[in-house]
Amino acid sequence: MSDAADPVLDCPVDQVPDGEEFIEAAMRWHFDPRTGSPFWLARAKTLDFDPRTDVRTFADLRLFPDVVDEFREVRVEDLVPRGYGSRAEVIGVFESGGTTGPPKRVVTLADWMDRLMHHQNRIMDAHGYPRGADWLSVGPSGPHIFGGLIEQQADRRGGFRFSIDLDPRWVKKLIGDGRLDEADRYAEHLIDQSAHPLRTQDVGILVITPPLLVRLARRDELVALVNEKVRVIVWAGAHLDPDTRVLLRDEVFPNVKIIGNYGSTMIMGAVSERVGLGDDDPCVFDPFSPYITFSVVDPKTRREVPYGERGQVVMNHISKNLLLPNNLERDTALRIQPPPGQLGDAVADVAPLAVFGDERVIEGVY
Amino acid sequence: MTALSIEPGRLDALGPTGPYRTRSRSTVPDLAGNPVAELSLVPRLYVQRTMAALHRARTLPPGERDEALARAGRLFATGPVNGLSAEHYQRMVSRVSGMPISVVRAATDAIARSAAEAYGSTRWARPYGAVDDWRDPATREGRALWVRRGDVFAVHAAGNHPAVHTLWLEALALGYRVAVRPSRREPFTPHRLITALREAGFADDQVVFLPADHAVADDIIRGADLAMVYGGEDVTRKYGRHADVLPQGPGRSKILITGEDWAPHLDVVVDSVSAQGGTACVNTTAVFAAGDPRPLAEAVAERLSAIPSLPPADDDAVLPARSLADARAVEKYLFDRVGDAEILLGGDGIVDDLGDGIGVLRPAVMLVDRADASQTGIELSFPCVWVAPWSPGDGVEPLKDTLVLTAITRDGELIDRLMAEPTISNVYIGDQPTHWMAPWVPHDGYLAEFLMRTKGVIRA
Repeated sequence: MSDAADPVLDCPVDQVPDGEEFIEAAMRWHFDPRTGSPFWLARAKTLDFDPRTDVRTFADLRLFPDVVDEFREVRVEDLVPRGYGSRAEVIGVFESGGTTGPPKRVVTLADWMDRLMHHQNRIMDAHGYPRGADWLSVGPSGPHIFGGLIEQQADRRGGFRFSIDLDPRWVKKLIGDGRLDEADRYAEHLIDQSAHPLRTQDVGILVITPPLLVRLARRDELVALVNEKVRVIVWAGAHLDPDTRVLLRDEVFPNVKIIGNYGSTMIMGAVSERVGLGDDDPCVFDPFSPYITFSVVDPKTRREVPYGERGQVVMNHISKNLLLPNNLERDTALRIQPPPGQLGDAVADVAPLAVFGDERVIEGVY
Repeated sequence: MTALSIEPGRLDALGPTGPYRTRSRSTVPDLAGNPVAELSLVPRLYVQRTMAALHRARTLPPGERDEALARAGRLFATGPVNGLSAEHYQRMVSRVSGMPISVVRAATDAIARSAAEAYGSTRWARPYGAVDDWRDPATREGRALWVRRGDVFAVHAAGNHPAVHTLWLEALALGYRVAVRPSRREPFTPHRLITALREAGFADDQVVFLPADHAVADDIIRGADLAMVYGGEDVTRKYGRHADVLPQGPGRSKILITGEDWAPHLDVVVDSVSAQGGTACVNTTAVFAAGDPRPLAEAVAERLSAIPSLPPADDDAVLPARSLADARAVEKYLFDRVGDAEILLGGDGIVDDLGDGIGVLRPAVMLVDRADASQTGIELSFPCVWVAPWSPGDGVEPLKDTLVLTAITRDGELIDRLMAEPTISNVYIGDQPTHWMAPWVPHDGYLAEFLMRTKGVIRA
């Protein structure tokens, strides 16, 4: 079987294909018995539409059912499109955090990673990330894409990479079991470890989850070291509320640029905060159109909410490597107009879905 | 009724460098559901930094603290604070909490009085052998010095009654820096009080107002040396074993009448159940009476049934109001737990619909047939009382776990046993309502017992 090149799906990394042409090409690729993945070819039989004729526009992606749960059980071999033949260059198998059940898996191939890295490199330049600086990553590695992406980024920007590993599944288990003291100890253990490279190495870029960044901010010594050495703090892997974002930027780390990344294993990547936001702007994430795209919808109707309003985030990943459309994430965000020519929405002030009010307490006088 | 502004007010956090307005806010509604204020909710990072600032802050000298507290109390009770008159403040509290306006007015005065007396009140708790200053000549022969156990005190306050905010003023008087996390239901009182304290001379980094979500609330405690937490059984369970946290749990105050002639004591019973709208931890939850308790229960029911249902803003209102949905939930909670008790008052429902989505909680009187009936521990935030039989054979057991016990008895031996019982915090003997308080009488122990310790000092 040979690599059936498609001029649109395989366009040079520095070009952006037209959205509709791209979607049509992707449907041809993923649903042609010669090129599609065993997963999608089998799944297509149960669809009540033909993606190759019925899915032409971004809006048509809504025809797809949300298949993301099926990525928990499927053999990873069946996720690789046949069109890659025997020459698929696998970067890795990445897994979701496992918050909502057994982990979901994706297989990441080299051509997608090159395309994503080319895009991210451009954005990092625009944000003013130094080249040749050392990176410190404090976050999940292991099966999670968080660490995998940072490894790629650091390699491509010519720095050494130090990493402190966080096992998010263990933390969730501890919290689920009510062992908050242990979760706290574990988090302190991570900060303890991050102190060593910060003290002894030329860390110029710190990638960290927001809860750990807030925890790090408790230690005056580490705050001073970060302000002295680090040029860019990248937060990713969890939500950062707007109030904390402003405090971090204006009061804790005034000498450091703070940039957010929004990503997920199920879009096989992350997008970066929009370049050139003003101090009072919300943290806006633009899509990496047409590959990683978002819609902000009313979860009941799955229709877009008006611009500026909060809704639930639907994610799409479409590339030669993977088709994973119409995935309703457990995030909410403000719907923002994307830059011209981009598919879908930009998202801002991403927050967790679960909003629990105060429980009504009846007994007692307090 | 005074016209209230339609625009929701703005309640910023009051942090170590002044007011702090967040993007994340919670709306404080009145009982009808209209937004009355926008309360800023601070994030964890702000809590961390604020608590660190409190630790770094200095403490005012004792004399200045005493004067500033008294000034703040006067300002709180009489002055405009943040442009809000005392009258307007009181109407606001009544409007969001449903507390009768007269109770809010009395609480305002109580807060002013407590502020003026806070420093003096702490003197009652100082051990006889202790002095305040190592320079005291007595230390030449060896003495105890009375010192703080820490520097920073945190309070998770309750919103059931404004006078909850009298107690922590003693911590300020003793030189603690204090962080108050308000109730989200009624944040007006601590906001006004802390603003007044700041105007009266306390620095921004000496007393702070930190409205925060549940997720962040524990960080306030963690960042303090000592903390006091208001709540129910859950709070007592969560913090009961922490030496550095003082839970203010259920009150479950009780009255015991050991004589058969209860009639002369009816006023005390009715007053103890219904004063302050029945919303305080010192309101009576259960009455234990010798002989047949039914006539007493019926008499209490008759007296309580005469209280009119009035909107909380009415000068004559006595009963608390709630949003209709909340009131119905309280009613259901009660009815679900009545069990084998006989309802003498309130059986047809305890909610009086005032319209506008507001319901008054009418008194409830229940009769149980034995002293150890578990219902007597059910404490609800309105005039709600369980009446039980008691005989000497029942002893102290059913009277345990009590904030205030009024014992109307001449049995000195029984009183001895009540005094010795560790789970009864206060024993009032004779016709004294359970809600009686005085600055020199401890509420649940002196707060200073928790805040202070002695240190041995001698100067050779």
